[in-house]
Amino acid sequence: MEQVKINRRTFLVTATAFAGGMSLSLAAPAARAASISGEPWLSNAGGVEFSPWIAIAPDDTVIIRVATPEIGNGTVTQTPMNVTEELACDWSKVRVEFASPRRDYLENQVYSKAGWMPFFAGHATDSDRMKIALQIGASARERLKAAAAHQWNVQVADIEARNSVLTHVPTGRKLRYGEVAAKAATIQLKAEPTLKPQSEWTFLGKASPAKLNLPEIVRGSAVYGLDVRLPGMVYAALLQSPVQGGRLKSHDPGAVLKMPGVRAVVVVDPSKTKGIPASDKANYKLYYGLAETAVQSAVAVIADHYWQAKKALDALPVVWEPGPGADWKSSEQIYDAAMAVLDKPATKVLHTAGDVNAVTDPPTLDLRYLTPYCDSAPLEPLNGTAVVTPDKVEVWHPAQDPQQAWWVAVDETGLAPDKVYFHQTYVGGAFGRRVLANDVRMVVAVAKEYPGVPVHVIWSREEMTRQGRYRTLIATRFQAHLDGQGMPQVWKAQACLTGPIMVAASFADSPYVVGGAIPNVQIGTSDLPMHILTGAYRGPWYNSFVFMVETFIDECALTAKADPLAYRLKLLANWDPAWSKCLQVAADKAGWGKPLPRGQGQGIAVAAWPTAGLRQTGTIICAVATVEVSPDGVLKVKSIDVAFDCGRVANRDAVAAQLEGGAIHSLNMSLNEEITVRNGAVVEGNFDQYPMLRMGDIPPRITIHFDALSDHDRFGIVGEAPIGPIGPAVGNAIFQATGKRMRTTPFRKHDLTWT
Amino acid sequence: MSAITLRVNGKPIALDVDPSTPLLWVLRDHLGMTGTKYGCGIAECGACTVHVNGEAVRSCQLPIEYVAGAEVVTIEGLSENGDHVLQKLWVEMNVPQCGYCQTGILMATAAMLAHVKKPTDKDIDTYITNICRCGTYPRVRAAIHRATDTPGT
Repeated sequence: MEQVKINRRTFLVTATAFAGGMSLSLAAPAARAASISGEPWLSNAGGVEFSPWIAIAPDDTVIIRVATPEIGNGTVTQTPMNVTEELACDWSKVRVEFASPRRDYLENQVYSKAGWMPFFAGHATDSDRMKIALQIGASARERLKAAAAHQWNVQVADIEARNSVLTHVPTGRKLRYGEVAAKAATIQLKAEPTLKPQSEWTFLGKASPAKLNLPEIVRGSAVYGLDVRLPGMVYAALLQSPVQGGRLKSHDPGAVLKMPGVRAVVVVDPSKTKGIPASDKANYKLYYGLAETAVQSAVAVIADHYWQAKKALDALPVVWEPGPGADWKSSEQIYDAAMAVLDKPATKVLHTAGDVNAVTDPPTLDLRYLTPYCDSAPLEPLNGTAVVTPDKVEVWHPAQDPQQAWWVAVDETGLAPDKVYFHQTYVGGAFGRRVLANDVRMVVAVAKEYPGVPVHVIWSREEMTRQGRYRTLIATRFQAHLDGQGMPQVWKAQACLTGPIMVAASFADSPYVVGGAIPNVQIGTSDLPMHILTGAYRGPWYNSFVFMVETFIDECALTAKADPLAYRLKLLANWDPAWSKCLQVAADKAGWGKPLPRGQGQGIAVAAWPTAGLRQTGTIICAVATVEVSPDGVLKVKSIDVAFDCGRVANRDAVAAQLEGGAIHSLNMSLNEEITVRNGAVVEGNFDQYPMLRMGDIPPRITIHFDALSDHDRFGIVGEAPIGPIGPAVGNAIFQATGKRMRTTPFRKHDLTWT
Repeated sequence: MSAITLRVNGKPIALDVDPSTPLLWVLRDHLGMTGTKYGCGIAECGACTVHVNGEAVRSCQLPIEYVAGAEVVTIEGLSENGDHVLQKLWVEMNVPQCGYCQTGILMATAAMLAHVKKPTDKDIDTYITNICRCGTYPRVRAAIHRATDTPGT
């Protein structure tokens, strides 16, 4: 197994600082199960620091610092599970808190450079970070053993570490971890210990303990961003230009300043974004080229309480200069424009094979698809709290990427990075919406205008929905020439993109087009620049492209008069066999191929995240949907069977939860979600216009099948993968049931009646 | 402004507050009880569900003047130590993901169980209409069935 480099210089610095009398709280928390505070950024536990990641207290409490945010994915449980496997500590002694991005900066990027990726976002707890966590645990364990060996004057090899107790095997003498922690923290290992083989794991792959933040959640004591309460805190209600990119033209603060509780009306001006100090620009980057570099124009009312601020904001006369975006009269106009782009050749070619002009006949199929803007719509509205003074900024925030959020706070204020403090709260869902940190930029920008006291900025649900960083609207055109056996000889696809994308996931790298089964391929893109701001949404871009590719392949199969499962298996015959296995398992479990009465149907789809075009990477996932459509067009999804291969699974229940929830998210996205535009502004404001599936709408049977796991040595990321195939599986099933083809989402806008 | 009085989790409360202020914001911003969540403000999502005189109510659309004299129970008052049978099962069965909607779902479920001791799937669909963006619905359903020893699908 590959070894992970730990920054030993930092170990030494920390240990020396401690030996020199670094002030530490040694107060211990009450003994209970593995835990995390309701205020997870706080360090209540004290302890002796072994490294920036881990400290151990005299009462054996193990404090583990987690660098990734808890967004519902279980990272505050899985990360300490990984450490515990090697540390051999008592799980009930584990206590978690969030790592500080400011400390990462001050201490030579101790968290990010060591391999947590220079990217703190929520995913990849196991796929990218497990080995580091295991090594942290192993290293601390060996240092504890060395300390005990020193105390007893015995060989380290004769000491066994188990359940937070060190035992000298020949004599049976015992020491608790806490008893030697102070000594152990001063010890440097000559070499990092080798990790034990996975076959000797006793915790990972075996257990799915209750997630350790759940007691706080069910008591209502978990502090999300919206729950931050600070002495002297004031509340801000926020309004931005209804047409994105617009500017504030005029407003009349006098109309509301005398309303109860109102303290101020402040204006947020994009020209006031300061930028990162020049000396620090090289250290960090604002991610992806997608992150905004200036705040949006806005106005906010600040009051003693939120309701007062909201009422005053609603009463505030405001005039906006909407900018050129207002020329887009309707969504239909945008959709037509995107389709028109597809009449012209692609401006950028992403992938080619063979010669798409080798066949001169007209294509057998020439079809178009479109997926609209969608909002990630996490249930906790956007918010954040900041106090800005001339030489210090302090932020409490529900970030999806704390490092990015902290850096954006630096960028917005222009202060030296060491003057910016960041406290990560719990996060009420994210799904991409909070990753680029434009929310924290706005929070800091508002607080800058009302300095000296903590300002708690809240987007109303309507404000949040209309000021999204939406899933990119994408239109595509697919052309295929089928040969005498019905197999594609030419596959030509073009996407019209309405915003920047990082990867054309599952479009340019689908195994159908890179796997060699189709000899002549061309994949390209063109752009339709829009004023509507786009960003990440669960499984970004993949969530659109899988729908399109897996619907088109279904149409190819049926044109060839082939079974959609058999057709896919044939195209994937020489590809990573995990794809065929997933297809076969999902189909078998769903009873694929059995005759169904009219009005019922089954559909299948397969995909992989984050990369489809490489073998044995990420999570390969197949869904079979079974649906029933009444003659008057009412759709009922009766069951969804999911088979997947992420290699190996370290926590079965946590993986199942992500796949179940992701399947429901994919279903909602495909059936319900569409953000529309009128005169440049987003129409939908709340859940009455942007519907969400509820308990009674969920298929009675959503089954996650573990039978397709390949046992390949990886723990692939699972959270995004299901967003891809469930939608097209349902769409393909609707076609089987009704003869009506779903080439656009949301399906609820289609007439599904049949006779 | 005259004081509005009510009981919250058994304690008498007197408030000088704009009588149109929704109960949600009184709980969160005046009383500092943040377990009751703001999700939509239009009684669509149910994250703000509390009990008013024993009934599940979406507090974001309920002006405080309408609950004068009422008995309000929030998630903070559902149990003494977070040990209501639903809270315990929610932990044991790993129901929540991000958890933001769950206090509202727990309050809606507890109110349902006061009316329906042995809920069917249909009862659950009728009473629990909260929104969970993470998609924990199947686990919520399973936990309710286990709490009430009823068969699920």
